[in-house]
Amino acid sequence: MQWSRRLDKNMKILVVDDFSTMRRIVRNLLVELGFSNPLIQEADDGESALTMLRGQPFDLVVTDWNMPNMTGIDLLRVIRAETALKGLPVLMVTAENNRDQIIAAAQAGVNGYIVKPFTAVTLKEKLTKIFERIAASGASA
Amino acid sequence: MNAVLPLAVDESLPPELRELLNSPDGPAFEQALDAMVRQREQHLFRALGQLARELHDAVRRLGGELAQEGVPGIVADARQHLQDVLEMSANAANRSIDFAERLRPQADSLAHNAGQLLQWTGGDEPAAVLAREAAEFAGDCRAGLADMVLAQSWQDLTGQRVKKVASFIGTVESSLLELVRLTGALAVGEAPVDVAKVTSQEDADRLLSEFGF
Repeated sequence: MQWSRRLDKNMKILVVDDFSTMRRIVRNLLVELGFSNPLIQEADDGESALTMLRGQPFDLVVTDWNMPNMTGIDLLRVIRAETALKGLPVLMVTAENNRDQIIAAAQAGVNGYIVKPFTAVTLKEKLTKIFERIAASGASA
Repeated sequence: MNAVLPLAVDESLPPELRELLNSPDGPAFEQALDAMVRQREQHLFRALGQLARELHDAVRRLGGELAQEGVPGIVADARQHLQDVLEMSANAANRSIDFAERLRPQADSLAHNAGQLLQWTGGDEPAAVLAREAAEFAGDCRAGLADMVLAQSWQDLTGQRVKKVASFIGTVESSLLELVRLTGALAVGEAPVDVAKVTSQEDADRLLSEFGF
């Protein structure tokens, strides 16, 4: 699968969170930032997210940490371990803000980390940074 | 040996202990010591059992008091209440997001129409002034709606805390039952009952009654 190399308004985004309100909030903010509403899909835990990721191409995953069945960090680890998914950008949006957890996410290969509650400006900054870095690594490769 | 020991015996010790320490009979000494230790253990276990029972009574009394005030008080109900809080807060947050989603296209359309109007009029014309005001209002409205949507993330943050409290209540409940089971089993020397089987208030009461509480 070919990942979008830059921040593109027609990206397919998967929002993963066990709280439906939070999924709606993230979706609303993404739409506010100009992303296409019909291209945003939702999953309520890591397991169902994985099924969707294996079934169709996505350009970005925005995931919570603390979820039943499969947590966000476990989802991230599986994504990085699978040949077909390992290049997929993953942004973690979570209330987990202790040092060890942020380090664990970084070591597992997270592309960005946002601590809840956050603002639309923060979301935009992190997304821009993620795709700038990906573009830079793609250019140097 | 006998010549040395009496020197070590403190006058403040109980007479039976002094007698024991002076006794030349080794096995009898150990037996008596064992009996004393066992007696102490029995006291301790009985005291623990009593504590557990008092704690259980206190929890039950609290439940009764809550019930009298119109709030059903048993642990399962407490968990249900927390679940209700989660649902109600989710509904409230969803309603706010509904408003934002409904108003956003209206703000967009107002901004668009104001823009169209400004192509035909301008300067100090009353229509132009109104159109500019409308466009500004539409922009503020959009930004305000985005903030309002974002503010609803309180539901997720408080909800996670509510879930933690619900799981804590479950832990307290099973720890209490485990304590009662352990102290009961030790005090009467019975085989421990599998705590995993305790799932209801009736089970808990039955288990407690088995240990004489």
